[in-house]
Amino acid sequence: MSKKSNYYNILIKQKLEILKEYLYLLEQNKLTFAALIIILFLILIAIIAPIIVPFPSHIYGAVNPQDKLLSPSWTYLFGTDEMGRDLFSRVLYGTRISLLGSLIAVAMGLLIGVPLGLMAGFYGGFIDEFIMRIVDMFLSFPPLLLAMAIAAFLGPSLKNAIIALIISWWPWYTRLIRGQVVSIKEREFVRAAHAIGTPSWQIMFKHILPNCISPVIVQASMDLGGIILTLAALSFLGLGAQAPIPEWGLIVNTSRTYFIKAWWYGIFPGMAIFIAVLCFNLLGDGLREVLDPKTKKY
Amino acid sequence: MLSFITRRLLLGILTIFGVILITFILVRVVPSDPAAQWVGGRATPQQVAVAREELGLDKPIYVQFEHYIKDLLKGNLGYSLMTHQPVVEELKKRFPATLELVFISCIIALLIGIPLGLISAKDKNSWIDHFSRFFSIGAISIPTFWLALVLQLIFFMFLGLLPSGGQLSMKIKLFQTVPNITGFILVDSLITGNFAILKDFLKHLILPAICVGAYTIGLVARMTRSALLEILSEDYIKAARSYGLPERLILYSYALKNSLGPTITAVTLAMGYALMNTFLVESVFSWPGIGKYIADAVVCLDYPAIMGVTIFAACAYILLNLIADIIISLDPRVKL
Amino acid sequence: MKKYCLLIVVTFLLFSFFAFTVIGNSQTDDFAFYAYNSSPVTDWDPSVEFSNGIVSLNNVYETLLRYDPLEDKFVKLLATDYTASSDGLTWTFTLRKGVKFHDGTNFNADAVKFSVERTINMNQGAAFVWAPVDKVNVIDDYTVEFRLKYPAPLDLICASGYAAFIMSPTAVKSHPDSWLTEGHEAGTGPYLLESYQQERGEVKLTWFKDYWGGWEGNHFKKAVIKDVSEAVTRHLVIEKGEADITIELPYEDIASLQDNKNVNVLIGPSFQNLILFFNNEKEPLNNKLLRQALSYAFPYEDVVSYCLEGYGRQGRGPIPYGLWGHSEELFQYNYDLKKAKELLEKAGYATGELKLLLTYMSGDEAERKTAELFKAKLAELNIDLEIRGMPWDSQWALARDNNSDKRQDIFIMYWWPDVCDPHCWLYSNFYTEEEPFFNLCYYKNQEFDSLVDKGFEESGVDRNKATKTYIDAQNILVEDAPVVFIYDKKNIYCLNKTFQGFKDNPAYANVVFFYDTYREK
Repeated sequence: MSKKSNYYNILIKQKLEILKEYLYLLEQNKLTFAALIIILFLILIAIIAPIIVPFPSHIYGAVNPQDKLLSPSWTYLFGTDEMGRDLFSRVLYGTRISLLGSLIAVAMGLLIGVPLGLMAGFYGGFIDEFIMRIVDMFLSFPPLLLAMAIAAFLGPSLKNAIIALIISWWPWYTRLIRGQVVSIKEREFVRAAHAIGTPSWQIMFKHILPNCISPVIVQASMDLGGIILTLAALSFLGLGAQAPIPEWGLIVNTSRTYFIKAWWYGIFPGMAIFIAVLCFNLLGDGLREVLDPKTKKY
Repeated sequence: MLSFITRRLLLGILTIFGVILITFILVRVVPSDPAAQWVGGRATPQQVAVAREELGLDKPIYVQFEHYIKDLLKGNLGYSLMTHQPVVEELKKRFPATLELVFISCIIALLIGIPLGLISAKDKNSWIDHFSRFFSIGAISIPTFWLALVLQLIFFMFLGLLPSGGQLSMKIKLFQTVPNITGFILVDSLITGNFAILKDFLKHLILPAICVGAYTIGLVARMTRSALLEILSEDYIKAARSYGLPERLILYSYALKNSLGPTITAVTLAMGYALMNTFLVESVFSWPGIGKYIADAVVCLDYPAIMGVTIFAACAYILLNLIADIIISLDPRVKL
Repeated sequence: MKKYCLLIVVTFLLFSFFAFTVIGNSQTDDFAFYAYNSSPVTDWDPSVEFSNGIVSLNNVYETLLRYDPLEDKFVKLLATDYTASSDGLTWTFTLRKGVKFHDGTNFNADAVKFSVERTINMNQGAAFVWAPVDKVNVIDDYTVEFRLKYPAPLDLICASGYAAFIMSPTAVKSHPDSWLTEGHEAGTGPYLLESYQQERGEVKLTWFKDYWGGWEGNHFKKAVIKDVSEAVTRHLVIEKGEADITIELPYEDIASLQDNKNVNVLIGPSFQNLILFFNNEKEPLNNKLLRQALSYAFPYEDVVSYCLEGYGRQGRGPIPYGLWGHSEELFQYNYDLKKAKELLEKAGYATGELKLLLTYMSGDEAERKTAELFKAKLAELNIDLEIRGMPWDSQWALARDNNSDKRQDIFIMYWWPDVCDPHCWLYSNFYTEEEPFFNLCYYKNQEFDSLVDKGFEESGVDRNKATKTYIDAQNILVEDAPVVFIYDKKNIYCLNKTFQGFKDNPAYANVVFFYDTYREK
């Protein structure tokens, strides 16, 4: 065995150990663990949705007007909507849209927010002031309002709603990271790296970042839920996904017109939103207990 | 303290300005014709042209922006394209309804959230703790608009106990003259002693208040719990216990009071969130407040109205944040 | 401390217990309650209002004539008689005597001249209906003469639901310009505006004691029109008997209301129709064969059955059923997938593979469902129809975009008359326009244009000749297929069974003339 492959073996073993440790801690908190399982289940559904739905054609286009507004039955588990489409299929497929949309928004938010926060904290001075003033500007707004305004002016569509959410969310990560960076920056190992001439970007990404990433991970996992919620809220107001996209919030909005005749219509997509957001929040909560050194149980 | 406040206010003004600028530009980029919307569905080309001139839309962007800022400083938010009324007047008329809703829901949130957090921290890791933690996370996860629909379904459709919407029932609105002294129905009906209206109003208020307050309940419960837990592990509490002071005294007189600081600040912030929730709840319950106003404006892209509400809500939020920070700073342990 | 808290709580509970058992209600006069689906007025100025406000204005103001399209006759309101010269250029109206305005002044020819000229000069709203008028002359106190620039059906114009109201010159002149818009009125109608609360969307009307029609017999003395924008709430108030009349309920709910013993459902024709406009200027829909193919691919029956629950009929030509100028002889496309495929092949699109953009007004359920049904049918022909819901404002702006390539391929919208005249459709929607306005199929046909002009002039003189000309024009439209005539809507009014006397008049969309109505126990 070469030295290099030996090195990698040990590295992998180390990482596995850490992973095992985290999973053990997670398991202690049963609620969080259950949430994790449900989330994995949802991800699974999102991935295989087009295959497992009973009525794939009902997701977008085809209409079946003879069967409109039927109550839940064995054929149509959640009933049908006003165009005769199976609500069960649409809600299942909606998982894909919500999860994917939320993932994109959080990922892009991180991609923009984290480097900016690193730079602000690391370089300090004018760059710090400039970036943080902009961040403060954004943070002075309640997130839903900012997203609403941007989505309204860009034009109502799913794409624009996600863009609006990215714009509303990145400042949170920047502020979070910057706070951490400022305190880590003065530590010994950073000074040492600096002294031996490591380039700045390497210091930022390889040394500082791994040490302050945990609150961001916690925040990001809770945000996955929060963004699903906000996206659904935007669609509910008419600013997000438009017909015939089967987005959860949009389905709930459409259900309002048929409230009297088909009261079950809006229950299921709303329930889906609730479960998804709840699980992400529980996960984030549990992760916080695991990752936050202050509240470690041992 | 004063410099802190001034600094924050200046920052707030800068923020508002930035937002106005951005939204203003966006409006001009999107395919839409405010002049056409102003004259209504079926105008002639000449009328649209005249309206365009009247609204100043034919001038270059920076001139329009200048006018808008000037108007803003005078307190003029423009005219709603839907109703042709000044946006400021519309907001003034609708604000009391929203304020009542937000205020009552925050009170409910405090009445439910604080005891919940208290019990939870007191008996940590008991079944009641787990239940309340689950409940409070549920409260901040639940989609407000869905909760509104579910409550409507249960209490109106199935049980028939509560009305489906509005502030007052049709009968009361049409048969009685609703007193209008302060603009707040709750206060006015109490002052004039009109209990029929009060009872009717409360019946209409309770479901929307719960929906708007759900998030706040969860937030307050969690904050109370974590603040209390931190305090309960402090040395002076241990000392008090070792002196033999009754647990209840320690809890209420020492721990709770010290934890109220962060909790109250959380509530102030949560009022901002509650304001956002009203956007979602008011249209479901036909509550004639700002939330419904902007929900309607957003559907037909009434830009002056949207911008007006955005500016207003942002100002309110900034103000609330400022108040929250000031309250925190009253705690001598916190450095400004 | 605790004891005090307990005391406060107990007091509060006792207090609320007593509060809940005390009821205070004061009865006032019986009134008619119209649960309207939108704001009952946009602008109180009768020269300007061109929107929902007519439901309020038509009870407070009056016009010279009122048109009953179902019986094709005119009801004489402020005018007792009228004649037209043989060339159709001079119209003379004899006015009713003894009519008073709400401010106490007398109604006379000066008032007519003032009102019409004011509307024309302000040139807002539907003022364009007076375009043919050259001069208004006062012959004597109760005779007024209109001189026209070209022949036109002035009787229909005077009976228009918009812009034809007569107002008191004294009241209007003695107040600043904005007085009317702020919420005041100066009419002759049977009702006074008692109060208007804009943020609650409430218009309260009360009877005008000196109304020329008198108050003998059964008439409601008070009425309220209120904005109840939630369809669910409108349904509930009519079901529970809290409202007397309402409109625009979801079609799915109508069947259950018909079974309800306390509700009368009145179904009548309206002059509102839904038209699908092809983009005749842009590829690929500039190809007539393709348009005809798509006309055969449209699911007319499904749309009427499922989007309207049967409360409508397929459109036959642009003029809605029941209005003069409509012809049952016109050719009508039907849903025939085979024919559609044949024509597609002839047009050169045998394999389909087309991508088209359709825009509709977001929020309108019927439009959305229609679009989705069409999308599904076109998918069977391998045509990808993207449907996009947009606010009316954006939808219209896109259709008038300076860059004609950006415009949509298909535009759906409703049309309804301002004057009960086929010209309203034929001119606004199909006449050649340099800059697109409402001709959103961008149709440009000289032959058609000249027929429309001819018909308009004839309609001022000889209605039958005009009808024939208009039918010729419509035949061209059907052949060229620049649009698809989707459906003629039916008006559905849900009434409380004690609310009597209401008669639907499609010429005045959604207007309830409260004077004719009364309560029957």
